[in-house]
Amino acid sequence: MKYFVFIVITYLSLSTFSFPQEVIHNQVNLECNTCHTCEVPTKNDPCLIECPRPKMQKEFPSSETGPDIFIMDELENRYLPVVFTHKLHAQMSDMTGGCLACHHYNTLGPILRCNQCHSEKRKRTDISKPDLMAAYHQQCLDCHRQWSHKNDCTSCHAEKKGNESFDRSEISSELTQKTHPEVKKPVKIIYQTDCKEGKLVTFFHDQHINIFGLDCISCHKNENCISCHDPAKVKNGKQHNFDKPIMVNISETERHQRCFGCHENDKCSLCHKNSEMKPFDHSLRTGWALNKNHLKLECTACHTKDKGFTKLENECVSCHRNWNSETFDHKVTGLMLDEIHIEFDCSDCHLDRDFSRRPSCGNCHDDKNFPNNKPGKLVN
Amino acid sequence: MEYLMNPTPIKKKFITPGVVVLLILALNAMVFLAIRFFFGIGSMTNLDNQHPWGIWIAIDVACGVALAAGGFTSAALGHIIHKEEFKVILRPALITAMLGYTFVAIGVFVDLGRYYFIWHPLIFWNGTSPLFEVGLCVMIYATVLYIEFLPIVTERFIGHVNLKGRLSFLNVPLDAILRFLDRGLSKTMFVFIIAGVVLSTLHQSSLGTLMVIAGPKMHPLWQTPVLPLLFLISAIAVGFPMIIFESLLASRSLGLKPEMKVLSNLGRMVGPLLVIYLAIKIIDMAIRGTYVYLTEINTASVMFMLEVVLGVIIPLRMFFSEKVLNSRLLLFIAASLVVFGVFLNRINNFLVAYTPPYALNKYFPSIGEISVTIGFIAILVLLYRVIVMFFPVISIPDKKLMPKTKYAIRGEEK
Amino acid sequence: MGFQNRRDFFKTSLLLTAGITGISSKKNKAASLDGPSENRMGVLVDTTVCIGCRSCEWACKTTHGLPTKPIDSYLDRSVYDKKRRPDEHALTVVNEYDNPNNPLLPTDVKVQCMHCEEPACVSACIVGAFTKHPEGAVTWDTDKCIGCRYCMVACPFQVPSFEYSKAVQPKIMKCDFCFERTKEGKLPACVEVCPTEALTYGNRNELIEIAKQRIKRQPDKYYNHILGEAEIGGTSWLYLAGQDFGKLDFPKLGRDPAPGVTEAIQHGIFSYFIPPIALFALLGSVMWINRSKNNGEEK
Repeated sequence: MKYFVFIVITYLSLSTFSFPQEVIHNQVNLECNTCHTCEVPTKNDPCLIECPRPKMQKEFPSSETGPDIFIMDELENRYLPVVFTHKLHAQMSDMTGGCLACHHYNTLGPILRCNQCHSEKRKRTDISKPDLMAAYHQQCLDCHRQWSHKNDCTSCHAEKKGNESFDRSEISSELTQKTHPEVKKPVKIIYQTDCKEGKLVTFFHDQHINIFGLDCISCHKNENCISCHDPAKVKNGKQHNFDKPIMVNISETERHQRCFGCHENDKCSLCHKNSEMKPFDHSLRTGWALNKNHLKLECTACHTKDKGFTKLENECVSCHRNWNSETFDHKVTGLMLDEIHIEFDCSDCHLDRDFSRRPSCGNCHDDKNFPNNKPGKLVN
Repeated sequence: MEYLMNPTPIKKKFITPGVVVLLILALNAMVFLAIRFFFGIGSMTNLDNQHPWGIWIAIDVACGVALAAGGFTSAALGHIIHKEEFKVILRPALITAMLGYTFVAIGVFVDLGRYYFIWHPLIFWNGTSPLFEVGLCVMIYATVLYIEFLPIVTERFIGHVNLKGRLSFLNVPLDAILRFLDRGLSKTMFVFIIAGVVLSTLHQSSLGTLMVIAGPKMHPLWQTPVLPLLFLISAIAVGFPMIIFESLLASRSLGLKPEMKVLSNLGRMVGPLLVIYLAIKIIDMAIRGTYVYLTEINTASVMFMLEVVLGVIIPLRMFFSEKVLNSRLLLFIAASLVVFGVFLNRINNFLVAYTPPYALNKYFPSIGEISVTIGFIAILVLLYRVIVMFFPVISIPDKKLMPKTKYAIRGEEK
Repeated sequence: MGFQNRRDFFKTSLLLTAGITGISSKKNKAASLDGPSENRMGVLVDTTVCIGCRSCEWACKTTHGLPTKPIDSYLDRSVYDKKRRPDEHALTVVNEYDNPNNPLLPTDVKVQCMHCEEPACVSACIVGAFTKHPEGAVTWDTDKCIGCRYCMVACPFQVPSFEYSKAVQPKIMKCDFCFERTKEGKLPACVEVCPTEALTYGNRNELIEIAKQRIKRQPDKYYNHILGEAEIGGTSWLYLAGQDFGKLDFPKLGRDPAPGVTEAIQHGIFSYFIPPIALFALLGSVMWINRSKNNGEEK
């Protein structure tokens, strides 16, 4: 039709990238038929369940290790291909739903190409999912519209002039290396509340990340660019204003809601104190100091997520389940036993197999004690 | 009857100051009509996509059809129920109806975007459309009215065809044609008379059905599935008042003595009809619970009250009073009120009640629309004057005791 | 009254009755289809996805040969300051409304003919110039139309518009669901051009299922109602929104088809022409009786 110069948008080529982390299937406790429809999925025919896949588990590389950019091209007439700054967007998405925000319904396996589910043709039999062009635009425009209040194509698409062709090698390093400045993370935030008793709530932001192993989206589920940036100031130039403190204006219920995900069954007094709280200390709170090995671990290594941070059995075997004296390598404790001591039974030194107490040398030696004398070499 | 009433052409001077005014109004309409036909409907009306119908439909068509109802009500009374005493009003009523429907047809013609396709309903039929039914019925009924008018023409011209000069050779054949028509019509006239009444009941009611499909776009005070019934009964009820109204007006204008006895007898029938109309209206309101809309004061509720109180309740009381029935002035007022009430009802139904979504502005007719409508009414009155002066329409006492004429429509034979 | 004798009366009555019955048998029955066919198509408009780029307006105009500015001019968002309606210059328009859930993401709503399942215009048109096609489209036939504008009175969505400025051959203008394009197997122009596929073209039943799925999957995002699924007997075009449709200027309509009451009345009055013929016969007998009585008296 001569009237019809119609604007289709773009196609994505993801194939050039392979991700460093391949998920090993047998490590995952999942039924095959959660993801696959056939008995023997192959690489060429993974026979994945149709989107949407509500039960799917996903694992993604961090925003830093994903591809820097990728280029959405092919079959273009009105606009040049779109250079999508993947890393930048991945970093930004850390607080807006993470990789899932775009890679929804991805499986445990490799990251799927969009066109695996989204048809490249608008006229198609399965209309339950948007076509590829729509899928891209729907993903991008919700944020971009809020960001700029515009829907001009040219903010992503360079307009094509004449027979101009797109040269990948000319993509500036500025674009490929573009990253989002690191988000300033507070160490602690002290909330003044209206409560009579327990006026102060001290929130240790860094500990929740570093010790309790929460990622940003555990709390910041639906942050938007404009949560931090003032779009009004962006409009008038490239100067972005980053100073807008995030999450100040959320309601009391919403603030509680974010904590209740984990602290649902805790007493108010856990957080509400009359004075500023001390940072979390395992020995103070639980009476069980973490030794240097355990200190390195994330909480969730011992406190499994589904049970929450509840008290664990004090026994080593309660965690180290597959442990027995034959296979145990004492080296992991940081002390490599020498040739003589390695032959002993555990209870020879650890009386009554109580590993929390200081080991005793008295069974053989009268003049030696731990830790002044060591039955081997210290290793790291 | 003391005198034998006989339809006679009225001999009077045609041009009077009133006629001049009417001529000017008609001429004014012609100017606006020229604009309409050269530059489109949009150029001189206030119609838009939200208000597709204006006064050309509400007044020219809806009111025109309703107020021409005198034709079929009098025909039913005079010919079918066969009341001799009302014979004298038959011809004036017929002329009014004929002119009324001509006016309706021209009104539609002007309002149609593609006026040159006005004949399309004859070949493209859509049985579900009330407008189709109205259109077809009006076309046929107008034809029927012209056929009913023919005997007046034959009566006037049989034996009087007297063309001068070159055309004189046509005198004999024309006379023969008139005589042939006269004979044919005498045998079949009853078919047309009954058909006229049937067609009228059909399209008078379907005119009410027209707005039912607008559904929620109509104000609930008027929107009801019994609209067709209300339209039919109001049309029947306005028939006699319209005859009274126009007889009194014509007799004054032509300097004749009105037939008060006949007119007050006609008036006696109006009261009960208005009672039936009011009863249906009130029962319908009660069933649908629309009286709640009367508690708020707005254009719709005020117009509704005006229509019901001025147009129905007050004249209803008046028509039950002997004093009113025997007084020329009071009878005229009562009849005018009913006419006004129906006029207002049609305007309310087609314009006031119609509140479309997305209307950017309220509809009010433009000067052009008003001019055209008034111009058409002026032409109508002028034509009426011409016809009664030229044809034997109005009965006046005849002292010469001429022999009775042949048809019931123009009198009795034998 | 001047009929000569009873034989005349009978003869003529019979002839007339026969004539009318003859006409009535030729008369079309109501044009309603026997329920929506299986391949009834439709479009699902997801207003939560629409970005208000107005490409559809441009595509519609280009396809229907209406004058339009170049597509770049459609970026101008000042048009949203006023609410617009489809008219003789644009068969579809997009309006923008505040979104109470997120003030930064306004709701954009495309407006055009809804292509009712039981269209008032088809029922009302004096010459039957409108057709409801089994595939869903409601189209208008320029060869029949007389320009009476009753369709505009009847339409519950106030969609048909009229070329008031034309003195000769003014047209009724409304979306025709790209009837010509879809016949050739193409998508409607607006659906084809929509960058976010806020418009999904497909089987109407399937679209209703998809719409239900979307609401079920994202109950926070969607207002739990599919406009057009049941309104006035259903429409071929269906709408999803994130807020109450009343706030988006959709008329509040019941579930009964718009022409229902009117057609019931029409069919009541005209069921095989029996009521009019009966009335004719009744009036005839009354006339006859009164006439004979009168004659008798006179004799």
